[in-house]
Amino acid sequence: MSLEGQERRRYELDDRGFDEVPAKYRKYYRRLDGPGDKLAPNELLCPVCKVVIRSTRELREGDRVYCMACLTRLRVVAGAAGLEGVVEYT
Amino acid sequence: MSDPAQDLHALPPREFLEHVHSFEFWLGSVQGYLAGRPYGHHDGLAEPAWTDPERDRLVTILCHYCVGETMALEGAGGLIRAAPNRPTKVFLATQTVDEGRHLEVLVHRLAELGVADPEREIERRTSAELIRFRDRLLAFVGSGDWDAALFAQNVVLESAEFAVFHRHARSADPITREVLLGIIKDERRHLGFGENELGRRIAKNPALHGRLRAVRAELDPLVLGSFERTLALLGTPAAERSELGRDYLAAVERLGFA
Repeated sequence: MSLEGQERRRYELDDRGFDEVPAKYRKYYRRLDGPGDKLAPNELLCPVCKVVIRSTRELREGDRVYCMACLTRLRVVAGAAGLEGVVEYT
Repeated sequence: MSDPAQDLHALPPREFLEHVHSFEFWLGSVQGYLAGRPYGHHDGLAEPAWTDPERDRLVTILCHYCVGETMALEGAGGLIRAAPNRPTKVFLATQTVDEGRHLEVLVHRLAELGVADPEREIERRTSAELIRFRDRLLAFVGSGDWDAALFAQNVVLESAEFAVFHRHARSADPITREVLLGIIKDERRHLGFGENELGRRIAKNPALHGRLRAVRAELDPLVLGSFERTLALLGTPAAERSELGRDYLAAVERLGFA
């Protein structure tokens, strides 16, 4: 089902205790809580360092997000099990 | 820099890269997990009642880690001159500080375990593969070969350490665990830096690919041999060992070296 044209859900981010980036950016990240951890529509797993990246809006294919924990820029793509991040070497 | 409270992910790529390579960013990052942990762990954590063989095994493992951290310290510091621009030079300065801290906390942990002469123990217990890997890495650094040295250090070595430290932290005593978790947090930056810098350089110069493939073929047996030996000391089952090499293989696959 195409999501084009549908308004994106917005998210208020809270601090989840991720202490590996400066305090003002902490709300954008959280640790993966084991194999049963389910990502929300505004979250993406960093394939480089396995940290969960969070956005203030629902993520869609083609979006770009940053993983500050490993200095990586990611493009959001549709994968077999949901949205995935592909590293962009820019 | 734009106000990140608005939307971090909307930053222009150049602005993001400039910031995450800076000392300012590094300082704000390490404060979160190093403050209040002298020598990498909180005061008051209990030392287990070790048997002699258990203690001896942990000392051997930590000696291997010290060799890895020493070569990373010499490598990161030695590479600053060869780094192609200001942000990469500044980032390597922060990595050099990280590696120096890692070595210090690991040697301190050896002393806590009763090792009177850490330098002698490190020399005595280190595997031949790790020494050969160190010699190759430092030869790349010494000749100013930015691409090969960065690949060996920030992709091969850092990925292997990241996987081994993660595995070890799961079963370690509380003190060693906290020391390792602090190191892992630094390693995320180092391995991401290596992969991204090389990815950008390969995109501009595809011929680099063939060269680094040859470097990988030379270094893989050395690092994987050492990796196997440490995991065996940790009591990791053989089936799980190959799974732990997955992160390293995934990184080289993303760079096109599968």
